[in-house]
Amino acid sequence: MKKIGSILGYAIAGIFVMSVWGAFVETYGIGGGWFSGFIIISVMWFLNHYIGLIANEGAAVDMALGIGITGTMRDVFLKGTQAGIESLPTLACVIIGGIIGGSMAVAIEKMWAEKNKA
Amino acid sequence: MAFPKIIATIAGGFIFPFLIRLVWGKLVENFGPIGGWLAAGFIVGTTWTLNHGVGLIYQSGGAWIDMAWAAGTGLFVASALSGDDVGKGLSMVLNAIIGGILGGFILYCLYV
Repeated sequence: MKKIGSILGYAIAGIFVMSVWGAFVETYGIGGGWFSGFIIISVMWFLNHYIGLIANEGAAVDMALGIGITGTMRDVFLKGTQAGIESLPTLACVIIGGIIGGSMAVAIEKMWAEKNKA
Repeated sequence: MAFPKIIATIAGGFIFPFLIRLVWGKLVENFGPIGGWLAAGFIVGTTWTLNHGVGLIYQSGGAWIDMAWAAGTGLFVASALSGDDVGKGLSMVLNAIIGGILGGFILYCLYV
């Protein structure tokens, strides 16, 4: 059940973000996009990571990974694999940026921890 | 993909997990679960405005690459670097892949 719960958590978060979010943007523009973050990510985070529908085992796999995969796979299903291949350069850049950002945050945390010890 | 777009896209990817990792936990520490609502609006909503609203992340193809990819991978690496078990984490990555494909397929059924 833990595995099924986790899969559901990733899928539900992805489904909300990759459908409702765009609808709010179409209707209300950029403010609709900001508002979508507020109403969707809040309750999805509460469900998945605060209550814990997604199991928290080992290195953290955020619901964001399920959201990212859902958005890309939605378009691969709709438009074909060629669309996915053409998006690979963006995917590579986003992942490189993400890894640098995550690593930098940890380095800064360690720097703060050192400072607090001293 | 032109060089300036590569720089912009990497920068967009950088910012999102960086903010989440440093700010989200502190907000929850200070405000309890309501901190998560604040984080959803002011981290995710505001960063979405930058990355997708004004478009710092450039889309090179027709399949949407969301800034969530940056958070998923960046936070995993951050967690691994701070000592969490990578092997156990990878089995959760598999769940995320299955869930993501399932979600993508259900949305295909919605939009097709």
